Amino acid sequence: MAGYALRRLAVALLLVWLVTSLVFLVIHLIPGDPAELLLAQGGVSADPAMVAALHAKLGLDQPLWVQYRDYLAGLAHGDFGSSMVDDHPVSEEIALRLPRTLELVGVAGFIAVLLGLPSGAMAALTAGRWPDQALSTAAGLALSVPVFVVGTLVVLVLAQELHLVPAGGYVPLARDPGRHLLLLLMPAGTIAVGLTATLFRVSRSAVLEILPREHVRAAQARGLAPRTIIFRHVLRNALMPVITVLALHLGGLLGGTVLVEYVFNYPGLSGTLVDAVSARDYPEVMAIVLVISVLVVLLNLVIDLCYGLIDPRLRYG
Amino acid sequence: MTADLLIPDIPIVEARGLCRSFAPRGGGLFQRGRKLLAVSDVNLAIFRGEAVGVVGESGCGKSTLGRLLLHLLPPSSGEVRFEGESLAGLHPAELRRLRQRAQMVFQDPQASLDPRRSVGAQIADGIEIHRLAPRADVADLVAKLLRQVQLDPGIAHQLPHQFSGGQRQRIAIARALATKPDFIVADEPVSALDVSVQAQIVNLLADLRSQLHLTLVFISHDLHVVRHLCDRVVVMYLGRVVEEGPTAQVFASPAHPYTRALLASTPSLHHRVTAVPLVGEIPSAANPPSGCPFRTRCPQAAPVCADQLPLLTELPHNPAHRVACVRP
Amino acid sequence: MRRFLTPAILLGLIVLLALATPFLPLANPLHQSIAHRLAAPSWAHWAGQDEYGRDVFSRLIWGARTSLGVAFTASCVAGVLGICLGVLGGFFRGAVELVTLRLAELVLCFPPMLLALLVVTLLGPGAATMILCLSILFAPGFARVAYAETLTLRGLDFVTAQVSLGAPSLRILTRTVLPNIAPPLIVQFSLTVAAALLLESGLSFLGLGVVPPSPSWGLMIRGARATMTQAPLLLLWPCLALSGTVLVLNLFCDRLRVLLDPRSSTARPGFLRTALGLPPVATTVQAGLLAMRGLTLEVQRGASWVPVVRDVDLDVGPGETVALVGESGSGKTLTGLAIMGLLPAPIRVAAGEIRLVGTELLRLPENAMRRLRGSDIAMVFQDPSSALNPLHRIGTQVAESLRDAPDEQARVVALLGTVGLPEPGRVAQAYPHQLSGGQRQRVMIAAAIANHPRLLVADEPTTALDVTVQAQILDLLAQLRSRERGMGMLFISHNLAVVADIADRVVVMYAGQVVEQGPVAEVFAHPRHPYTQALLASAPEGDAVRLATIQGAVPQPWALPQGCAFAPRCDSAFAACTLDRPALEACGDGRSARCLRWREFA
Repeated sequence: MAGYALRRLAVALLLVWLVTSLVFLVIHLIPGDPAELLLAQGGVSADPAMVAALHAKLGLDQPLWVQYRDYLAGLAHGDFGSSMVDDHPVSEEIALRLPRTLELVGVAGFIAVLLGLPSGAMAALTAGRWPDQALSTAAGLALSVPVFVVGTLVVLVLAQELHLVPAGGYVPLARDPGRHLLLLLMPAGTIAVGLTATLFRVSRSAVLEILPREHVRAAQARGLAPRTIIFRHVLRNALMPVITVLALHLGGLLGGTVLVEYVFNYPGLSGTLVDAVSARDYPEVMAIVLVISVLVVLLNLVIDLCYGLIDPRLRYG
Repeated sequence: MTADLLIPDIPIVEARGLCRSFAPRGGGLFQRGRKLLAVSDVNLAIFRGEAVGVVGESGCGKSTLGRLLLHLLPPSSGEVRFEGESLAGLHPAELRRLRQRAQMVFQDPQASLDPRRSVGAQIADGIEIHRLAPRADVADLVAKLLRQVQLDPGIAHQLPHQFSGGQRQRIAIARALATKPDFIVADEPVSALDVSVQAQIVNLLADLRSQLHLTLVFISHDLHVVRHLCDRVVVMYLGRVVEEGPTAQVFASPAHPYTRALLASTPSLHHRVTAVPLVGEIPSAANPPSGCPFRTRCPQAAPVCADQLPLLTELPHNPAHRVACVRP
Repeated sequence: MRRFLTPAILLGLIVLLALATPFLPLANPLHQSIAHRLAAPSWAHWAGQDEYGRDVFSRLIWGARTSLGVAFTASCVAGVLGICLGVLGGFFRGAVELVTLRLAELVLCFPPMLLALLVVTLLGPGAATMILCLSILFAPGFARVAYAETLTLRGLDFVTAQVSLGAPSLRILTRTVLPNIAPPLIVQFSLTVAAALLLESGLSFLGLGVVPPSPSWGLMIRGARATMTQAPLLLLWPCLALSGTVLVLNLFCDRLRVLLDPRSSTARPGFLRTALGLPPVATTVQAGLLAMRGLTLEVQRGASWVPVVRDVDLDVGPGETVALVGESGSGKTLTGLAIMGLLPAPIRVAAGEIRLVGTELLRLPENAMRRLRGSDIAMVFQDPSSALNPLHRIGTQVAESLRDAPDEQARVVALLGTVGLPEPGRVAQAYPHQLSGGQRQRVMIAAAIANHPRLLVADEPTTALDVTVQAQILDLLAQLRSRERGMGMLFISHNLAVVADIADRVVVMYAGQVVEQGPVAEVFAHPRHPYTQALLASAPEGDAVRLATIQGAVPQPWALPQGCAFAPRCDSAFAACTLDRPALEACGDGRSARCLRWREFA
């Protein structure tokens, strides 16, 4: 296990470095001068003086490798650059807002796993009968509605028409736990709708794939009770494909927080992204994208390590 | 062609010091992973018109050897010569020309035919690739080939899944014959078939061999079939040749302990297997025993067997029969 | 197929609508009419007017054109790029493979939405920017699928056959590889279109995608959201349009997958044994261990049920080994599974009874049957590598047979020792992948005999093993036979030679029926059924120059010939054989044969 873990850690570190570099390079890969692009509004070219000023400010007048070196050095010191709009260090924003986004994603994931996995397994075990058909139809519908539509409709129906919940906002946990949870549940629940449906589908197909396998029949031949067979020989084996798909959807999950935070006015990290993009605040956008992407790499690493725990073939050659 | 008549004893295919290893894999319960030596130092000369059987159990390298002989896999070291010409340094275009003369028949009739193309199109592939006939004649040639393998020519437009295992194997043979090869490697062509169908395919191969003057390398784990079909037999263990010679002799008086054990373990309708000839399992190819690879299971192993690798040496009264054992 | 047509037609209609939009008599989607802003639906404006007084219905249709246009274009570009890289990487390996895989992995680290936003920051919003973004974002998905499929395909023999024929690489790629990987790629394409549509809508919703005043569903939702309190209905139209289209796309994907790979469709898991509607039988006393009478099994084919095992009688006495032989399609494996009550879901028991020392098995309720399994009857399967759960240790799995005995661990180690495994303590701690095939089969046998069953059903237990290992396992089974006094064994095999070694009696099956049975030595020396004769003659052991063959092939269960099932292939058939089905006749001296002419073969 140690060897496997170290290998996966090395790959993850390599990916982090590559992601960091790619984020740095994007501005240089796009054709055209970056400063001119950023300042151009609606087809009108920018004032050359302003372009020169932006060059100096963003360090674009330096040679490429110097920029790269400074960039990496800055990151190592926790300096993610300053916002072009108000000159605040971006790292402050990140430190404040990242935990909120993590909380959102964590709660959404928790709900989705709690609801999606058991329902998927149950649908597989009753395949072809009404529980399966009902659940599968529901999942199909849930997957078709985009997350921002769900959020907007939730606000429309539950908040505006029925006045059940407030339309959005945020209250820190320390100040008012109840309200904090309520305001968290709305966006988390919205994310959870699509994620639950995805997990439902993948656990259903994973269980359906395992059920006809020979080792299940052999367990039956040994006279084991159905419950033992399901838990020890079916569900445990089905965990691998489920985790694989979960890993594949991590990117989409974290990307979806942008839309949800926007709809519910939830002050997480992704929410500020929209304003920053509208303002063409490149340093801020770059930093947030970097942080979230590195987060994805690290979460993938955690999932890889989980593989190692589940599948002995990875641990012992 | 005239060259062959003048010097009749150049083997049509020859392997010299052939080795092939695969990338490292993890080890098992008792061993650590290492590079896998699938084929080690094989020297084999196959002469025109012969049927040579290659036998051995799993991990002996016989399938890999078959693919090496046709250069479907590049050797890690050593070389394969086709009519005296080494295959290694050949230009791709020349290699392709040589491929016309050497073909392969595979084990699994299901996997060896493209499920999405008609069998006629697949048989015609060889003719088209090597431009052996004008477009107008291809259909007739395909029909002729189908008749040669005792199938109805009218089936050419059908898809592989519409046929049984035995029929699919016949189609695979027809495909191999389309390029008019001189040399065919058959990699366990009957192992995936029912016993009654096996007999049909074995008979077919024997007939075709004599009708078309083919040279055949027949890879199999079934000793009975090899004994029936082949003139010469090569016994492999863990990537090495341990015995080779005329089939009748090797089977009547096997010189290598492994060959003896193999013959004794093979169930037969006519005599019961009395004692278990061999204990233990085949060692991992990633970690072969030092010296003779068979010594861990050999009933007559001696300390000297661990020190040196025995070379193939001729038996005193019969130069055609060779064995790799210090104490045959 | 029908289930596929519905979403396919719907999708086709939507695409057609999007393509035909400029030619349809729609109101100008850009025409503003502030005086009538947020008007309710009317004859002139079927879905009302939006916050600028523009016709909502027209904007919906034009929005479809924009959104679908972006999604399809991006998917096509991504597809071409990704498939090329993936196929080349998978086929040629080497540098292309390395670069493709690493690049794909790298891009896939970025949440698509974020990378898109990064590019939009630089280039500003707009349809062109989005197509560029989406193409780069979705190409790795295509590359991955194309790579994986190409790699798998490359390992298949028919691709190697093309190389062996001397086909140039281009020919192999275009004629063999691409047609075979097309189905999963088509699925990937529809998935990508759906994902691209969602991403474009999301970006437009944020105001960072398609630039107004061009219509896009995302933009319409954004605008309607702003006026949510005054005109909530306005929100519904674009939401419905977007969700509906994505739903149709997803359905299309799903049904396409099922169509292209029928195995992936929902197969009822045979896990839970369904109740059998068999007529009850009287309790009888019997002498032997296992008595099977008239077993008939049927499989569903379309609307009807076809018998695959017909009227099989079988007896196994205590301490006796009976071999059940036949080729593929003979029904021997199903017969064995029927005894265990483990028939797969599509098979049902139509008639018959199976008694194990008086207890009738087919009519037993499932929990009673479960108590018998593993204790009174046990089974050893053909492929030891798939019959063990790769995730659990050997000891754990063997202990399952012992059902919480007090000294479980010690008993497990002892059991592993009795089946001849060296260092049984170490083996108990190991995982299945660390053992060899022969060792795994010994483990299976250990688990099977753990509770000293009365009957052991062995389904081709040595077929997947090397010949020297096979000899060891057969020897082990013979030892167990003498050690476990009274244990009967049903040995299922297609290999007559193996059977000659290990069995006392043999039952030969053909096309679902018993055609001959009797003591092994006598049946093999003097077979009384032409099929048995032909099987024995076609074995390559003798010194015959040509092997005897059986012409023709085994008939399919739904296309059985009239009269004797073997008659069309039989050398000894005469007119009467094709008229009536012969019955299994007793030949005296414990043998029977299903042939009208058995007396002539005596």
